[in-house]
Amino acid sequence: MATEKNKNMSLEIAALADSARDGNRWSFQELMSMFQEDIYRLVYYRTFSQMDAEDITQEVFVQAYRKLKSLNDTQKFRAWLYTIAVNRCNDFLRKKKYLSLLRMRSVQEQEFMEEGKGMGNNYNDSIVKKRFWEQVRSLLDKLSVMEREVFTLRFMDHRNINEIAVILDKSESTVKTHLYRALNKVRKDAVFFQEFRESMS
Amino acid sequence: MKLHNQAHLNGEQIIRAVIDEKELAGADRQHLLECQLCNKKVAWFKDELQELGKNAGLSVPPLTKNITLPREERTPVSHKSSWLPSFGVAAMAGLVLFFYFLGMESMSPRLTPFQSSSSEALVEDEYLMEKIFQMVENPLSDELYEITGDNGGFDEEFLQFVVPDIQEDFQSENFIQGGINQC
Repeated sequence: MATEKNKNMSLEIAALADSARDGNRWSFQELMSMFQEDIYRLVYYRTFSQMDAEDITQEVFVQAYRKLKSLNDTQKFRAWLYTIAVNRCNDFLRKKKYLSLLRMRSVQEQEFMEEGKGMGNNYNDSIVKKRFWEQVRSLLDKLSVMEREVFTLRFMDHRNINEIAVILDKSESTVKTHLYRALNKVRKDAVFFQEFRESMS
Repeated sequence: MKLHNQAHLNGEQIIRAVIDEKELAGADRQHLLECQLCNKKVAWFKDELQELGKNAGLSVPPLTKNITLPREERTPVSHKSSWLPSFGVAAMAGLVLFFYFLGMESMSPRLTPFQSSSSEALVEDEYLMEKIFQMVENPLSDELYEITGDNGGFDEEFLQFVVPDIQEDFQSENFIQGGINQC
């Protein structure tokens, strides 16, 4: 049942991507409304900043719209869009790292201030979320770049192995190897799971 | 229930099962199907990871920015853009040539009106000095000078200016001397 639904969804996406590639602006807007939340979350998981995530999400869709003609297989639209998003995030993080060397204020300090802006009105909720993201970050910091990417795509962006392989342009066995290493490190941090569960309950 | 493979799955095998059960060897896969304990361990790890993903999704602040597409590019704009760069390049080349020739003109040794008038004055001065030297070197005797009744085309005032009297020049000489003394 779920497989059937997924198949229909994939066909719908491919049809919209086909139409958008032929210049139908409305079709692309439909695709945008379908994926903007997913892309925004994907970017947030990598930048941990609401403002940056929103800006990068905008850039991702603008880039996708401009380069849609270069997409040969519209069945792979989702993976293609995710690839653009992941690449944009990597570019952003690289630039941020470089800029942090030049600035007086530390990156952590800036991030804390930005997180504070996006907290909303509920203070307790904000504290819980802040603590959760701190734990996620400390967990992801233990992983290598590739392990982190594969882990995030698999368990936070909910992509399957095949899709991850397409997004990162790697073989499935390479993805599995990185995922194995990542899980091996994560498993040792079992306390994390218990802690974040308690904090969210 | 008798298990196909009595040994439970180790940590590495549990992880492999979480990633993809097909990654396990046939006997281990069979064991996983039959062993509740190993199944529970795999399920627990999967649940934990799923929970992490779910909470991550819930903890993301809402998207507040309205994601929009760039304005649609009109066909005339694209048509314009095809000749605009060529026009720009041609205009640029024209400007470069203009300034190049302008530079050449300014570097050529042409005399300006001021320069030409001053050079004429120099020629006149030279001619005048030549005449004066001739007069000084070949003076007529007083008798002959009186007969000609000519003053060489120069009036007294002019000669006074060219060859001033010592008396008149005294002040300037005195001034020079004073200046030297002051130094």
